[in-house]
Amino acid sequence: MKNAANSRSRSHWRSKLLPADAVVTGTHGLRSRKGRTLLTAIGIAIGIASMVAVLGISASSKADLIAEIDKLGTNLLQVQAGSNLFGESAKLPEEAPAMVRRLGPVENASSVSRLDTDVQRNQYLDDNNGLDVLASEPELLDTLDGAMAQGRFLDTGTATLPTVVLGSVAAERLGVRTLDGGPTVQIAGRTFAVIGILEPLPLNPDIDRAVLIGNEAAEDFLGAEVIPTAIYLRAIPELVEDVRSVLPRTANPADPSEVNVSRPSDALEARAQVDENLQNLLLGLGGVALLVGGVGIANVMIISVLERRGEIGLRRALGATRRHIALQFVLESASLATLGGIVGVGLGSAVTYTYARRQDWLVDIPVQALGAGVAGALVLGALAGLYPAIRAARLDPADAVRPA
Amino acid sequence: MTVLDLTAVTKEYPGSPPVRALDDVSLSVSEGELLAIVGASGSGKSTLLNIIGTLDRPTSGQVVIEGTPVADLSDAGLAGLRSARIGFVFQQFHLLEAITAVDNVATGLLYQGVRRGRRRALATEALERVGLGHRLGFKPPQLSGGERQRVAIARAIVGDPAIVLADEPTGNLDSHTSTDIVNLLRQLNDDGSTIIVITHDQDLAADLPRRVTLSDGRVVDDDAHLSAFRIPAGEEPAEARGVTS
Repeated sequence: MKNAANSRSRSHWRSKLLPADAVVTGTHGLRSRKGRTLLTAIGIAIGIASMVAVLGISASSKADLIAEIDKLGTNLLQVQAGSNLFGESAKLPEEAPAMVRRLGPVENASSVSRLDTDVQRNQYLDDNNGLDVLASEPELLDTLDGAMAQGRFLDTGTATLPTVVLGSVAAERLGVRTLDGGPTVQIAGRTFAVIGILEPLPLNPDIDRAVLIGNEAAEDFLGAEVIPTAIYLRAIPELVEDVRSVLPRTANPADPSEVNVSRPSDALEARAQVDENLQNLLLGLGGVALLVGGVGIANVMIISVLERRGEIGLRRALGATRRHIALQFVLESASLATLGGIVGVGLGSAVTYTYARRQDWLVDIPVQALGAGVAGALVLGALAGLYPAIRAARLDPADAVRPA
Repeated sequence: MTVLDLTAVTKEYPGSPPVRALDDVSLSVSEGELLAIVGASGSGKSTLLNIIGTLDRPTSGQVVIEGTPVADLSDAGLAGLRSARIGFVFQQFHLLEAITAVDNVATGLLYQGVRRGRRRALATEALERVGLGHRLGFKPPQLSGGERQRVAIARAIVGDPAIVLADEPTGNLDSHTSTDIVNLLRQLNDDGSTIIVITHDQDLAADLPRRVTLSDGRVVDDDAHLSAFRIPAGEEPAEARGVTS
């Protein structure tokens, strides 16, 4: 007993593998079989590349949309007369625009009134062209942050004259492509001169499809009663939701429920979310590729263990413990996969960049996706290497050093 | 001082009937000895090599290396013992093809936790000792068979082990190169290394100071007394005294 205890204390020879050496040892097999390393890594690279590209391309398209939304502003609100209890389309109170303007966080507001009439290119036509005639205020252009493609917008002068400004779609449908030659349109049998054409308004397709005349002109030339049907307003960005919540009562204190409030930028933001299903499907496909790559690595590692019996036996003879052997093969497998991950991340980024540039999008490659790609490959590689590593560690050293 | 002591070592491999590869083998090796364990194929010498090298454990009997009973050590403990105290030379060299001679020799110290710079310095020294100072940066495929075996020998001695175990070290070499390798082993032994050569080659064994002959798993001859003159004075076994010529 004493002897045994004594000798145990004497067994101070302990195998020890320095961390740096473990890494070098773990990549020895890869460096000595470069061709195989490359081919095996490609499987992982393709999986990671496709996942990075899917994430990158969708992020880039989203970034582009968000940049567009930012440019247009998310603080535009639209108040519309809804329908009453009986389904009849309601109107806003005449004083609604003034009431809305009085709200503190409202930067500016303008109203439009849809007139119950239609517009034609000339008196001989009677198309159902789907265009609205709106009586509007000169401030509308500012509120919508719109721009003129040609000519100018209504001002206090032209708002009293028989003049119109065409929305971009309206101009197209009416066949007015240029202001040269003084084009005119017919509204309720009267001739109106076209003085301007608007650029498209992504947040306000309703205005794109409208022909705008001044409030005074509507009253004077068409005998219309100008009662607001919609109010557009810009609120202080931080208070948009607050403003939104009080708008129905402000615009129509008598019947708040007859008022619809919307935020046009919401529709664009929704578009940014739409393709999530497709994205998940593509990610899933990338995941399958990755899994196949992982199985490939496991296979190659098993073959490697069989081929390298001699090396394993040698290392055991040189003092490697089973753990050292297992570690070597897990590290080898993990570095193989990590190499694939790095190549894949590079490839995925390149695909994203090329695709986004060709689409004229902003390039947005999510950094998390890159990190996750490499880390995921590493973990996958370690898992794939686990079984081969255990097999290697379990080899009987006495058998392994013998020629097979 | 006794570096290796085997007492009544038996090794059986399972089967029906079980195969008894070693049968009641007792063997004692002192520091500074150079001996051959010689026997035909199937005599049990490979099994004995594995047991001396602690790559395998006996079914019964005791193996003591430098006073430590091997049976007391765990698997990891045995690995530690091998890393520090046993150097192996294999018939098929077992060199790593992708790395240089000096790096191959340095792997002899890899599992002792020696830093790389120190490993390479010691490896360079060891290669110079085996006469390969001019081949440090060569990879195994660029070396001749004899040179490869020298690299393997350098790897075995680089950690200054208690025992160098050489398994058919000349088995893959021509006769001329074999002589060189045996001379190298002798020279290393003169410098103090304890070397055990396992071989089937009677001529090679005849050149060495002590021969242990195995047959059917038993030691049938051990001319330990003839090598007693090699043991440093004052440490010779009592029974050997007076027998020396």
